[in-house]
This record gives sequence, structure tokens and C-alpha cells, in this order.
Amino acid sequence: MSTVLALAGEVTTGEAATFYILAPIALIGAIGMVWARNAVHSALFLVLTMLSLGVFYILQAGPFIGMVQIIVYTGAIMMLFLFVLMLIGRDASDSLIETLRGQRTVALLLGIGFAGLLCTGLGRAVGSMTSVGLDEANAAGNTQGIARDLFTKYVFAFEVTSALLITAAVGAMLLAHVEKVKAEKVTQLEMMRARFAPGNYPAPKPGPGVFAATNSVAAPGLLPDRTVAGRSLSALVPTRELTEAEAAPKGTEK
Amino acid sequence: MTFKLPAIDYLALAPMLVLFGAACAGVLVDALVPREWRYHVQVPLSLVALLASGGFVVALANRKEHVVTAGSAVVIDGPGLFLQGSIVVLGIVALFLVAERRLEPGGAFVAQAAVVAGSEADRKQMRKPGVTEVYPMMLFALAGMMLFCSANDLLTMFVALEVFSLPLYLLCALARRRRLLSQEAAVKYFLLGAFASAFFLYGVAMIYGYAGKVDFRGINEAVLGSSNSKTLLLIGLAMLAIGLLFKVAAVPFHVWTPDVYQGAPTPITAFMAACTKVAAFGGLLRVLYVAFERSSWDFRPTLGVIAAATMIVGAVLAVTQTDIKRLLAYSSVANAGYLLTGTLSMNRDGLKYTMFYLVAYGFTVLAAFAIVMLVRDSDGEATHLARWAGLGRRSPVFASLFTFLMLAFAGIPLTSGFTAKFGVFAAAVGGNMTWLVIIGVLSSMILAFPYLRVVVLMWLSVPGDDTPTVSVPGAFTAAALFVGVAMTLVLGVAPNQALELVNDAGAFLR
Repeated sequence: MSTVLALAGEVTTGEAATFYILAPIALIGAIGMVWARNAVHSALFLVLTMLSLGVFYILQAGPFIGMVQIIVYTGAIMMLFLFVLMLIGRDASDSLIETLRGQRTVALLLGIGFAGLLCTGLGRAVGSMTSVGLDEANAAGNTQGIARDLFTKYVFAFEVTSALLITAAVGAMLLAHVEKVKAEKVTQLEMMRARFAPGNYPAPKPGPGVFAATNSVAAPGLLPDRTVAGRSLSALVPTRELTEAEAAPKGTEK
Repeated sequence: MTFKLPAIDYLALAPMLVLFGAACAGVLVDALVPREWRYHVQVPLSLVALLASGGFVVALANRKEHVVTAGSAVVIDGPGLFLQGSIVVLGIVALFLVAERRLEPGGAFVAQAAVVAGSEADRKQMRKPGVTEVYPMMLFALAGMMLFCSANDLLTMFVALEVFSLPLYLLCALARRRRLLSQEAAVKYFLLGAFASAFFLYGVAMIYGYAGKVDFRGINEAVLGSSNSKTLLLIGLAMLAIGLLFKVAAVPFHVWTPDVYQGAPTPITAFMAACTKVAAFGGLLRVLYVAFERSSWDFRPTLGVIAAATMIVGAVLAVTQTDIKRLLAYSSVANAGYLLTGTLSMNRDGLKYTMFYLVAYGFTVLAAFAIVMLVRDSDGEATHLARWAGLGRRSPVFASLFTFLMLAFAGIPLTSGFTAKFGVFAAAVGGNMTWLVIIGVLSSMILAFPYLRVVVLMWLSVPGDDTPTVSVPGAFTAAALFVGVAMTLVLGVAPNQALELVNDAGAFLR
């Protein structure tokens, strides 16, 4: 384990190299996630960023949080997310209509300005800093150190998080679950009764174009004696023929 | 490796634990009890839990022993207890509004939120009783709010922030009528709230980078003696402030307020306006007074500008509103500005009167929304201001009560609004923030206009055919209305007892 843990305050060549390879990839993932039109692509870009972050955590002497990032976030949550996307159909793309004119430009400019401000500030602040306390924190092992903090200092916050999980579960059920009322359920028996009830014809309806000269769906089905099967005509589509009154001159022919 | 669980003072945590436990029990009730009984079990359960929690708060206040417990994650001190107590009391009144089922068959909440709005199934469920998961959600939110006011480190505070926000997002989506508006409000609140939480968390990371600690005492020491670059502190403080100011609805982080207040079911709007405000300001007060007091020179000018902008923008936009719920939303924005003025005075009086203001405003706003719930026609609540014209002649009693509440909002003497405003302004003058007080007084004058316009509209117009009726309130709404109005009057006429209470609360424990 100690080989993974970086020494406090020192940046080895390997660490630096890994960082400079993965940092642009993480950034590309983040930007791609926002930019991609397709929701699945967005999710995959996010996976890329999360994996890079996981490696960063391991590099920064936090193997536990790094593995959790990869296993839980990338492995479980994002994959579930992809499942849901695939299930509800991935072609439902949002319409991007600006309701406020120029909103996107302003947002972009403000965003870049904010990022610039933050980066210069952080750059100046972090440059002169030395990290302390890493060795003590990891003295008994990284996972053990986290366990100690979680179950001593932050035990109440840890327990209270369960309230969050209950709320999330109840909330998901509230907003997504429709209860089936018993009366609305149609059983097999009822369906069969309805099928053989008077006023219904149990056999399949004649398909379009049976014994017909065309295979258009608009053509009515013909019975073996070449008369039109009334059942193949839709009751909803009226016959479109001009009546006497409609065909009469309207006085606009000149 | 062995380690010991830190000593936990369960009595000190009891007010919160009772609510968490009752909320879990409420979830089980919803799973196990037959549908027609759920309402009759949930309401007493929530009420008993809140009363028990309030009892524990009183017991702790009488113990007069300030403790830091659960491994220094939670601090139980005077102001914290006062805020917890006010959250419980305002929560009980809000629960009355939520439990009301006389005004509308089934109450203000939809029977099944997942049914597509406007569909055949939706019309069928119009008269069915509303969801009862509302009650456990409300208890979770209240417990989270209480923890938010007494958290002793930023991580616990963040967890508490999420615990009380998540149920609120859900509750917003459950209106029985105008469901699309309600769902839109919930999505907006959720997205913007998640964004604000992210800012808060980023701020916590920056502060940790600066101080090497996340507990308030450690941060306070670090502000004094850390050798790290102050830029980190400033970035962290700014981010933290964004997260907190979003919850208190300060300009420019207020844009969600009118839409969410309008879309959410009215009892939930009342709940948010009263309790969330207390919790958010409780958290803000603790962060500023305990952790960052010594860098007050850094944040006071910036937050002062935000307070000024909040007061002015809230007041000016309230003038242009035509919907009573949106009007009250902008009034709540402006009130956040007055509360910020009190907060920024950074002295003992500031803390005292800000807490007093929170309670006074909470009761008044609950009563005001109770009346909004009563004014209705066959389509539900009639919230458009034009519909309120001539209401005074239709039902003089309720119009008089509403007039009184409007006067309290405007800060007319003999109402709690006057005492509270006077208090925060006096504290701000004492804290060398006189310029903010001048803006506060000016904006109060602007803000009086929309309030008085409603009053004039109610009394001096002739009722038309479409003037809605004021429904006879059920016992629950009547109780909420009575408590709200009575407290508004008592805190205005004889505020001594309440002021003594905030005075006894003393200062935050560091």
C-alpha cells in the first residue's frame, strides 16, 4: 500500500506524468458531457471524467476514495443511469430554444469569467502552500483512517445521511409510482368473456387487401365472393364523395 | 485498529432524534396502515412528535448547560435552542395548514403525483384524499432544519442542508390543482438548489484548504493565525455565502422564489416562508458569527451590498406583482434583506433582533398564507389580485385580519413587524451599518405600497360577480390563523417576554 501513497509535499515524476496525461482527458470529458447532444454520449463523457478523477484520488494518497469513485460512481450509478437512458429511449433530445435572447452568450461569458477568476485565485493561493498531515492521516492505513473519522467525529452526520436516503426512496416512489386500482385490472377471464359476448366477432378481422388487386392499406378487405368485408372498413373514416349540393355550381365559375 | 464511539449526549440531540424517529415511523405507517386510516394516524403522530420535540427543547433550555456533543458535530447553545424552538413552533402551525382537509375534498395535496397532469386518471383522482407521505417528509425537513441551526462543523451543516432541502423539493411538486405549475416549481427549485448546494460544498473544500479544519472553532482560530493565503479563505467564504444566500432568497440568488412560492401547494409555501427562513438564517448567523467573525471586515461590505440589493429589488418587484402569492414571495425576498441587515450588524443586538424578526415574520407569513388558502372559488384558490377586489364587503372579518397582517408586513406600530424592524435597524446602526439602515427604511416605504394596495383593493372596491368567497376555515386552519394573528399582535404590543427570551439565549457557543 505504501508504494501507492505519495509522500507528503513531494511530487514524483510518475505522479506528474499521470496527472498531465489524465487532466486534459478529465477536462475533455467534462466539456464533452455538456456539449454532447446525445444523452448517452453525455453519460459516457461523464464516465471518462469520473474515471480520471478516481485515478487522481489514488495518486493523491486516497486509495479508498479513488476505488469508491470508480466502483460506486462510475460502476454503479453511471451504469444505472445509462440503463435508464436506454430504457426510456435515447432519441428524445431536448429542444434548445432560447427563451431569453442572448442568454447563452451571456452565460458563457460569465461562466468563463468566473472560471478565470477562480483559477487565478486558486493558482496564487495554492502555489505557496505545503500540504501537511497526510502521513498522520494515513498512519494506520487509508481506509482505517476514513473509518475512524466517519465513526467518531462525523458519526452523527453519517447517521443522519440515512434520513436523506429514506427521503430519496420515498420521493422516487411518490413522483414515479402509479398505483394500480383493482377495478382497473382486466383479468384473462374477463377478456375471454368480452371476446365471446354478443356484438363481438371472436375471429380475427379480415386484413386489408385479401383477394384484392392492391396491397394498399386503404383498400378494403374482400370476402371469398369478392364482396367488400364491412369489418375492414374503418367507421372513423367517412366516405368521401361529393354530394349533389357540393357539386352544384357556386356562382364563381366566371 | 480500535477506536471508541465519541460520547453522545442523547438528551441534547433528543429534539432532532424524536423528529427523525417519528418521520421513519410515518414512512412505515404509510406502508402498513390501510389507506383510509393513514391521515388519521399521520396527523396525530406528527403533532405528538413535534410537541415532544418542543418539550425537549424547553427541557434543554431549562438545563442551561451548553454542550458540544456527538464528537463536536453538534452544539447545543442558547441561540441554537431558540432557533430550534422557533422551528418547532412554526412547524406545528405549518402542520395545521398542511393537515387542513375541510377547504377542499382531500386537502391541498394530490392523491397520486405520478399520474399525468390533466389526463383522464387525473380527473378521476380529483376528489380522492391527498398523499399522506407529506407528513413524514415534513418531519424530515424540520429535523434537518434543526440540525442546520445547531451544526458545529461545515460537513454536518452540509448534510443537514440536504436533509431539509430534499423533502422540500418533493413537497413542492404535490399540489392538487395547477399541477404542471407545481411540478415546474419543484424542478426549478431542485435544479437551482442542487447548484447552490454544489457551491456550498466547493466553499467547504476551500475553507478546509485554508484552515485545515471544518469545525467552526477551528476555522475561527485559523482566521486569526493561519499562514495560508487569504485568497483561499475569501473564495471559500464567497462560495459558502452563495449556498446560504440561495436558501434565504437574497438577491441575486432569489430568482427561484416567486416561481416556487407560486407553484407549491400553499401550505408548503407557508412552511417554506416561515421555517426555511429560520433555518437558513440560523445557519448563516452561526457561520458568520462563530466561524468568520474575525474576517467581518472582508465580508461586511459585500454582503451589505447584497442586503441592500435584496431590500430594493424585493420591494420594487413586489410593487409590480398581480398575484398574491408572488407578491408575498417578493415580500419574503425583501424581508430577507432586512434580516441580513440585522445579521450584518455583527453584534449581540444583531443576533438578538434577527432571531426575534425571524419568529415575528414566521407567524405573520403563516397567517397570511392561511388566508390565501381561504379565498377560493370553484377552481381552487383565487390568487390573482384583481379577484380580491371588494373582498372586504364580502367577508369583513377575514379582510380585517388580512389588513392587519399587511400592516404588520409594512411595519406599522403595534404589530410585530414594527418591533422587529425597529430592532434590526437599531442593531445595524449600533454595528456601524447606518447606510444599510437608510436603504432599509427607504425600501420599507416602497414595500408599504403593494401591501396597502391590497388593502385598498379589498375595502374600496365593489365586489363583482366573480369575487371569490372566503371559505369557512376548518379547525386546523382556524387554529393556524388564530395563532399567527395573535402572535403578530402580542409581539407588537407586548414583545417584552419574547425579547427576554432572545436575550436569555445569549451568544453562540464557540
